[in-house]
Amino acid sequence: MSDLKSLEHPTLKVPYEVLNKKFRTTQKILDREVSHFQNAVQEFERNMSSDVDMTDTSHISSLLSGMVEKLKVLKRKADEGINDELQAGMVCKKRLEHLKEHSSPCEAIVQNWRRRRLDRMLVEYFLRCGYYNSANKLANYSDLNDLTNIDLFMISKEVEQSLANHETAKCLAWCHDNRSKLRKLGSTMEFNLRIQEFIELVRQDKRLDAVKHARKYISTFEDTRLDEVQLCMVLLAFPTDTEISPYKEMFEETRWLRLIDQFRQENYNLYQLSSQSVFTVALQAGLSALKTPYPFILYLTCYSELKEARNASCPVCQEWFNMLARPLPFAHCSQSRLFCSISGLPLNENNIPMVLPNGYVYGEQALVEMANKNNGQIICPKTKELFWLKQAEKVYVM
Amino acid sequence: MDACLAVDHEVDKVLSKFGDIRRSYSDGLQDLIENLENIKNNLQTNNTNDEICKPSMAQIKEIIDKSKDETQKLAVEHRELHSTVSKVGKAIDRNFVADFAATCKDDIFSKPENTVYLNQIVCQHFYRQGMNDIAEELLKESGTIMEPNFKEPFIKLNSIKESLQKKDIYPALEWAKENRTVLENQMYPPYPLIKRFSTASQLPIRIPYHIKRNKFSGGIMKPRPKTKKIKRLELAKKILQQFYTSSSLEFKLHQLAFLTIIQKGVEHQTEAVAYARANFSQFADKYEKEIQTMMGMLLFVPQGINKSPYSDIIKDNLWDEVNELFTRDACTLLGISFDSLLNVSINAGCAALPALLNIKHVMTQRKVGDIWKGKDELPIEIDLDTDHRYHSMFACPILRQQSSDSNPPMRLICGHIISKDALQKLGTTNKLKCPYCPMEQSSSEAKHICF
Repeated sequence: MSDLKSLEHPTLKVPYEVLNKKFRTTQKILDREVSHFQNAVQEFERNMSSDVDMTDTSHISSLLSGMVEKLKVLKRKADEGINDELQAGMVCKKRLEHLKEHSSPCEAIVQNWRRRRLDRMLVEYFLRCGYYNSANKLANYSDLNDLTNIDLFMISKEVEQSLANHETAKCLAWCHDNRSKLRKLGSTMEFNLRIQEFIELVRQDKRLDAVKHARKYISTFEDTRLDEVQLCMVLLAFPTDTEISPYKEMFEETRWLRLIDQFRQENYNLYQLSSQSVFTVALQAGLSALKTPYPFILYLTCYSELKEARNASCPVCQEWFNMLARPLPFAHCSQSRLFCSISGLPLNENNIPMVLPNGYVYGEQALVEMANKNNGQIICPKTKELFWLKQAEKVYVM
Repeated sequence: MDACLAVDHEVDKVLSKFGDIRRSYSDGLQDLIENLENIKNNLQTNNTNDEICKPSMAQIKEIIDKSKDETQKLAVEHRELHSTVSKVGKAIDRNFVADFAATCKDDIFSKPENTVYLNQIVCQHFYRQGMNDIAEELLKESGTIMEPNFKEPFIKLNSIKESLQKKDIYPALEWAKENRTVLENQMYPPYPLIKRFSTASQLPIRIPYHIKRNKFSGGIMKPRPKTKKIKRLELAKKILQQFYTSSSLEFKLHQLAFLTIIQKGVEHQTEAVAYARANFSQFADKYEKEIQTMMGMLLFVPQGINKSPYSDIIKDNLWDEVNELFTRDACTLLGISFDSLLNVSINAGCAALPALLNIKHVMTQRKVGDIWKGKDELPIEIDLDTDHRYHSMFACPILRQQSSDSNPPMRLICGHIISKDALQKLGTTNKLKCPYCPMEQSSSEAKHICF
């Protein structure tokens, strides 16, 4: 399995869902326009058969022009719809072309691709965190507007903002737009919004309006969510500053925040986005893979007490990463992987590990080189003890 | 790649089919519209004459029937495309993994303090890349606070790098002069790979211990006469200096400047000599050889250095070398790594995820249980390339366990290394046979070692 396969699902799935949606709307429009036209034709035919008087050409021509109009509308709508679909298809295509660069034989292209992948991940991470301006800037800087799902999040941004302002209209419109899909997912978004509207009416002490509202909108949910409907109708009986447990919470402002959360979640579900961003998932996996166990012997791990002993090139040794990685699991290691900490070369049969009398192990190559420059004397770079090369002894790691 | 191609295939189908449908219908509908309009016009012009109208009635009927069929067909054919479209979705689902998040623990990064760390990391990454405005926007939007003077070294670093790219060495030279003492005390091991490993330079030179005789020395060595502390310190310094090299950035920059002047031709040779006099003398003891070569070049200025024996010195990669040197020095001074750490971790993560997803899949199939349950270790080994190995890892060859605080690697007197736990399990009695060779010893003779 390659990294493309495991990470790029949302990159392709979202434009596909857009394409699918475009297809459905176009189909709906086409069906409607075709039936309009067919109706016109039927009317014409009825006139033709019933009217014996065929000389009334003005009548016929008016019917004909009606048909022409309908046909023109049909043509325009069909063109528009199919163009939209083609555009959505092109977005898919573009992203695929971008992903194909991943296995390009040219090293520079692959490097560049990786850099852009990181930027793509960051854009998505920003969008999920709500840092929309940063996301936009980064996308413009790295020319990623077509490769990231920025549009999707921009739409959701508007809805979230309206919810934060205690308005339900935009979110309801969104529910309406995606009704069939949401129903398939078993969404309670619309229900919760209606309940919230009801609560707001009660809060403003328009209890009669609240009842009307409930009759109009909430009664449709009665058969499936009777408990909650009952719970919410009880609110009518209580003052808005009630202290009784489930009802007090329903009046709280945090319910709006929960609605925003729910909206986000459902929006992700709608486009089959996972609840976590690719960025955090990849970062977690990466830190785990790089992480070495808790301080056991000086100089060996990412969690060494001595700051100097940490490795500046290792991400997990760096302070911020280090804090992030604390709860993560360590890399698994069933086969020793040893490196000489002077030369950075792997320790193996070409570079035999040698132990100094103080217990530190280095590669033969580095020690010999150091000794050659110093008449056979060596210094342990970690403890600064002086030794002779002769004192170093071979060790065997299986 | 196969995954991409499979989806690509389906997308191509969709695009071509939509293209077909658009082509066939836009023309067909246009024709129909024109025909109907023609008839209408005919009717309007010929409304007095019944005879001509009669045959056109049949015509009208025909055209209307045709348009009825055509429009119906359009709707039906468009509907039939549904299967092609949904095939794309199926291909994506089949070839790409949707629930990649299953491999990670939720909510680890969502804690407020961790979000701050994460944002700081991202910011640092942007500053490193020279994308300052994005970093600042992120700070503003996320409300993260960085130390106020955090970004300055990065901005400086990037501006110097930029000018180096434009072949302007002076900002870099100035920087090197400013930091001369620190740069001279840097100790880089004479290996190119070392940028992955901590260097000795990060530790202060302490007074070295006096050498004690012990078992390992085996009595081969004569006991050293006791030296005074101060002498030992000097000796240690000497050995380190002999082995490790300090930064040659400043000299290399001067060298570049000199080479640029000398390549301008004969009329600039006095300038070159003046430059050499002014700047090279301070490096005389360290870079004697290089200075000799450069002065030798003066001989060949009239013929052009390209044709001289020195031609390979003036090749363009000297610039790359200096660029790399500068980056290394600047990063070391800032205490940051050569590559962007975020980049490194994400690349490691992208390499690790497929393996993790695989094992997760297998584990759920076999009902082994949750991937993270009870373990503080990944369930499998992730095969990162050596560039990503920053620490030695020792796994006991007997117990197949990673060594830890309580379970360090031990060296038997024969030189074989096993973990302490394994040692204890082997040596129930006082005598212990090495599992790999016939050597016998007592378990107390094993020595603690460290990689």
